[in-house]
Amino acid sequence: MRTDTRRPPFERLLIANRGEIAVRVIRACRELGISPVAVHSDADVGALHVRLADASQRIGPPSPAESYLSIEAILDAARRSGAEAIHPGYGFLSENADFARAVTDAGLTFVGPPAETLAALGNKLAARRGAESAGVPIVPGTTVAVDDDHAEVSAVGYPLMLKAAAGGGGRGMRRVDTPDSLEEALVAARREAVSAFGDGTVYAERLLAPARHVEVQLLGDRHGRLAVLGERDCSIQRRHQKLVEETPSPAVDASTRAALFDSARRVAGTVDFHNAATVEFLLDAERQHYFLEMNTRLQVEHGVTEMAIGIDIVAWQIRVAAGDELPDDMLEPAPRGHAIEVRLYAEDPYADFQPSAGHLTAWRLPDGPGVRVDAGVEADTVLRSEYDPLLAKLMVHAEDRAAAVDRLRRALDETLIGGVQTDAGFLRWLVDRPQFISGAYDTGFIGEHWPTGQRLGSEEASLAAAAAIAMRSMEPTSRGASRPTAAEGSAWGRSGRIEARRG
Amino acid sequence: MTQFEAQIEGQPVEAVSDVRFELDDPATGIGRLVRGASAIPVIVEGTGSDRVVTIRGRRIAVTVRSWRERILAEAERAAASHSGPFAVTATLPGLIVGVAATVGDEVDEGESLVTIEAMKMQNEVRAPRAGRVIEVSVEPGQTVATGAALLRLE
Repeated sequence: MRTDTRRPPFERLLIANRGEIAVRVIRACRELGISPVAVHSDADVGALHVRLADASQRIGPPSPAESYLSIEAILDAARRSGAEAIHPGYGFLSENADFARAVTDAGLTFVGPPAETLAALGNKLAARRGAESAGVPIVPGTTVAVDDDHAEVSAVGYPLMLKAAAGGGGRGMRRVDTPDSLEEALVAARREAVSAFGDGTVYAERLLAPARHVEVQLLGDRHGRLAVLGERDCSIQRRHQKLVEETPSPAVDASTRAALFDSARRVAGTVDFHNAATVEFLLDAERQHYFLEMNTRLQVEHGVTEMAIGIDIVAWQIRVAAGDELPDDMLEPAPRGHAIEVRLYAEDPYADFQPSAGHLTAWRLPDGPGVRVDAGVEADTVLRSEYDPLLAKLMVHAEDRAAAVDRLRRALDETLIGGVQTDAGFLRWLVDRPQFISGAYDTGFIGEHWPTGQRLGSEEASLAAAAAIAMRSMEPTSRGASRPTAAEGSAWGRSGRIEARRG
Repeated sequence: MTQFEAQIEGQPVEAVSDVRFELDDPATGIGRLVRGASAIPVIVEGTGSDRVVTIRGRRIAVTVRSWRERILAEAERAAASHSGPFAVTATLPGLIVGVAATVGDEVDEGESLVTIEAMKMQNEVRAPRAGRVIEVSVEPGQTVATGAALLRLE
C-alpha cells in the first residue's frame, strides 16, 4: 500500500485511447498531479485530446489496426514518453489480455484488472459457465459453442440471439426468429465475429423480451476490498448498443437491488479482480435478473454513477492501480438524486442510426446547474469513419428522476450541432415520450416506437421553410449562385432581423 | 425584392408566416425563430438554393428558389431523366469488406453488391433496380465516404 496518498500515484501516465474518453482520463490525471501523455494516429494530429495532454506520441496511420489497436506502437510510445502507467480507456485494447500482459511485462502499471481476469471474462461463454457455477442466474441458452450441426440450439427456443464468444458491447450479435433462418444468421454472425474479434465462436441465448438492461458498477482495490457503486439502467438501445443510461434504475426496488448486487459480487468472486468493471444483467418483467457478461474496463456511461454517488471513478482506477486502499465509506455508497446520460452520436436516427461523417460547423453544448458534458470534439472537427461516432456524452443530475428529465430536456434544447446529423433529434423526441417520462420502457423501445424514425411533421417543415427563406432573403441577391458563407458574414450581420416572407 | 418559395423532399412547403428569424451567429448560421412569446433555436446552413435547417436536432434539407429558378431546374431535370447507366453509391462511410459483383453480372433488384463495415457492423449495399454491372470501382480493404461511387449498372 502507498503510505503517502497525497503524493501523485504516478509521475506520468499514457492514455492509450482517443476522443472523449482520452480527454476524460487526462482530466483525472491533472487533478491527481500526474502528467498525462496522449497518443495519436495521423488522423488525430490536432485533436482535442492531443492538445490537452502534456505530450503526445504518434502511433501510426489512421487505421485503428495500425495505431490505437497496435500493442507494439502503444508500448513504444510509453517507452519514449517515460510513462509509468497506461490507462486503456474503453474499446480498443482495454479488454485485451495480451496488451495488459505486455504492459506489465514491460515493467509498467496497467490501469485495469489483471491480464488473466481479462482473458477469463473476455470469453463470454466461459464467463457464462463461471457465473452459473457461482450460483448466478444466466440468460437461458447454450454454455458451449454452437457447432455446424447446431443440435444444441433447438433446445434454446426461438426467438434467440446468436452472440460472439469473443464479443461484447453489442457487436457480433444476430437475432434469429425461426429455425429456417438459423443457418444464414449463423454464417453472418461468425463472419462478423471473425472480422471484429478474430474468433468465430458463437453461442446462443434465448431472446428475453420485454427486458431491461441493468448493470452494476464495481471497483476493487489490490487488497481484496470491493465497492459496489450502484446500478445503471441502459435499456434505450439501438443495434444492441446503448444510447441512454440512468441511475438509479426506475425498474429496480430495494430487494431487486440487493439481489443484483449479490450476483455482481459472486461473478467478481470467480476471478482475481481489482480496478473497475461492470456486471451486466437482463431484468425481466417479473424483476428476475439474468447475467449477460462482465466488462473488465471503464464503461462509457460511468459518469452517471459519478454524479449520483459523488466520486471520481477514473481517479480511483488510477489510485487503486498504484496500490491505494478503498475507504470504508466507498464500499456501498447510497446515490443522491438521479442522473441520466444521453450519448450524442454522429448518427442519423432518420436513416436507421447509420453513422454520418462530415465537418462539425456549429457546436454549442449545454451548461448550467446539474449539467456535465464530456466531449471529444469541438467546432470545426472533421469526423472520420475509421473511429467510433460518439461525439459527446451529455449528463444531467437532479434531486429526483422527474427533475432530471426536465433538466435533460432543457439541456437538449440548448444543444445546437451543425454540419452533421446527430441522434439529438431522436433524444429530443424521447424526452417527451410518456414511456420515458414514467420510466416504463424496455430494450425494445426504439424498435417499437422509432422503427424508421419519425416522419417530418408539417409544423416543423413550415418552420424550416420560414428559416431557410428568411436566411436567403437576408443575403445579397445572387440568383442561385453558390457563395461561400463566410464571405457574407458581415452583410448578414448588418441585416439583423427580418420578417420571414412567403414565396 | 425576390420572392422565394420552399420545397422539402420535392414537395412545396408553405412557410409559417407569423415568425421572425433572428440570426445570432453568421459564421455558423445559429439563430432563432421567434413566434409570439417563444423562440425556437435553429441552425441554417448552406448557400444559394440548397439550405439545411436544424430544428430540435433534426436536419431538414430545404430548397429555396425563386419561381424562375424552380422552372429552370424542373426543365433541366425533365431533360436528364431518360434511362441510362447509373452509379450505385455508398450509403454510409466505412470499410469495404466484400464485393460480390463483378463486371458483366446481371443482378436483380435488391441483390447484395458490396458489403461495407462501419462500427464493426456489416451493411449490404443492394441493387436499387435490376441491371448489368458495367464497372466496379472499389475493392475490399478500401475506405469509402458516403456518396462514393461503388459500381455502375446499366
